[in-house]
Amino acid sequence: MTMLLVLVATAISALILHALCLGDPKRNRAAGMREAGQTKRQRQVLTAAICLPGLICALTGDAAAFLIWLGGCGVIGWSLAIWFSRGAQERD
Amino acid sequence: MIHLKKDETKLMVAVHGWSGIVLGLLLYAVIFTGMAAVFAEEIGIWSAGHVETRSAFERPMDGSIRRLAAQTPAKYHEGVDLFEIGDHNLGAFFHRHETDPDGTLVSRGIYYQLDRKGDVAKALHGTGEEVFGPRNDDALSSFLVDTHVRLHVPNPWGLLLTGIVGLVMLVAAISGLLIHRHLFKDIFTLRRSASPVLVDRDRHSVAGTWSLPFAFILAFTGSFFSFFGTIGVPIVAMAAFGGDVQALNDAVFGNPGRPDPRPATMGNMDRIAADAIRRTGEVPTFITIENFGRADAKVTSFHPPKAGDIEPVTLLYDGAQAKFLHTKPSIGTQPSAGGTLAAIMAPMHFGNFAGMLSKAVWFALGFAMCYVTFTGLRLWLARRREDMRSLEWLDRTVMVVGFGLPFALVCSAAAFLIAMPLGSATYWTPAAFLIASGVAILGGTTAPSVAALGRALQFATGLVLAGLVPLRWISGGPGWGRAIEAGQPIIAALDLAFLLAGIWMVWRAAALPARRLPFPARPVPAE
Repeated sequence: MTMLLVLVATAISALILHALCLGDPKRNRAAGMREAGQTKRQRQVLTAAICLPGLICALTGDAAAFLIWLGGCGVIGWSLAIWFSRGAQERD
Repeated sequence: MIHLKKDETKLMVAVHGWSGIVLGLLLYAVIFTGMAAVFAEEIGIWSAGHVETRSAFERPMDGSIRRLAAQTPAKYHEGVDLFEIGDHNLGAFFHRHETDPDGTLVSRGIYYQLDRKGDVAKALHGTGEEVFGPRNDDALSSFLVDTHVRLHVPNPWGLLLTGIVGLVMLVAAISGLLIHRHLFKDIFTLRRSASPVLVDRDRHSVAGTWSLPFAFILAFTGSFFSFFGTIGVPIVAMAAFGGDVQALNDAVFGNPGRPDPRPATMGNMDRIAADAIRRTGEVPTFITIENFGRADAKVTSFHPPKAGDIEPVTLLYDGAQAKFLHTKPSIGTQPSAGGTLAAIMAPMHFGNFAGMLSKAVWFALGFAMCYVTFTGLRLWLARRREDMRSLEWLDRTVMVVGFGLPFALVCSAAAFLIAMPLGSATYWTPAAFLIASGVAILGGTTAPSVAALGRALQFATGLVLAGLVPLRWISGGPGWGRAIEAGQPIIAALDLAFLLAGIWMVWRAAALPARRLPFPARPVPAE
């Protein structure tokens, strides 16, 4: 149960994190991209959506799944920041 | 995010910077070895080529324990600790509790190391501190764990030092949270084509933000472990038990009941182990027997958390009748919030509560925190480089520790692989670490530049790391086919990981000069 729950929860959050990263206005400006990025409201909704799978893990009482989800989101978020900054560097 | 006044922010920046720079290198060493120690068990299996998959507690052990008890003086039947050693063999420590002339509580007795057949391979007499230590086949994983736990400084000073380092990490995490005004706005911003200060700042703050919750968790739990035995227990014993540590242990962790010293035949330990495995779904990590051979004998088995939980499970049995009594809280006799909190400290720190998945996440977070510490030190130096040319020695020191530590660790692993078949791994594993550290320090004093030093150390680390795989094969370690067939795919997985990481490091070090062009900073326009 833990494994399935954590994989699904982390995968959903990772997808939304990916969208959040691509639409990050400050990242886009720093990378010299013309896209304005997401609005503050859009980013708040996406952030809430990222937290939702973790909340479900917590509400099911699966502490292990919640901790792995939390740590996994941290690692994935950091990896996305690094990965997409590489893309920006190659464009330079 | 949190808006402080200007002078408060300046103070917090100073606290953050100086807390990092004063003990930052030790902190880096503790975090780096902790990151590797997450996989200490797997590194032990990989390095020693262990292919047994059945736990010693799943195989018959009752006969061996009875035989050992018969040959051990009755005075050492007060406590029997059972645990696994080597390739899932049994270790048994028959002991009694004594207070040394200097007032220290010790366990004195005989430590038996059994072989696969259950025969005594080695028997050591003395206190726990004297008999427990690295063995030839676990010298590498022991070395890693010991470096992380106490930096090889004798007790209690080593534990106090790592505890203080943990507190420094906590201070740095809190002050970092307070000084970062745009915690969420900057969470994906990594400028690469900018001034070294901006590049280092972005690297430090982005990695720090993503790993912030775990910086709190790991720093707090790490400090808890360091201070628990060195400060917490003596203070509580002094305040509530007149300084009697044994009385505290009995009251807090013991099994209350009326003593019954009548001799009694012990129940079947195989039956107890099988029942404990059936109840928890997990093999015990440790079993302890109180008052072996007496009517009031108690057996306690310690298990990893059940699936979906992070609290380890402890079961209590009547030793004479091999009968399950109840699930035991980690503290006291009744479940409590404090007991649960104390119990989850270890899984939260080690990340070993859900198998390889949780370990992999903890390893990655440990790496992120190494990165945060290293880039923090580099940032502190980069901000002062223009004004303080005299700080080059510190710049070199940071580079020597930052890249010299991984280099020394992979060299110690290489030495272990060569020395283990010869039976001298306990000597050569730390010796190789010291020799490689000496080489890194020498490189630090003679390298033409800090960048050249970093590049050389990364290149050498990558070479040795990739070389560990053929070295393991040459030294007689099991091949991938045999390891997978025996149910130990972790050996092949670690081989592959070391090979890929080594090749990547060599490639990265070779490409480094071309990728470090001094681009001017690109300002980020305000919203």
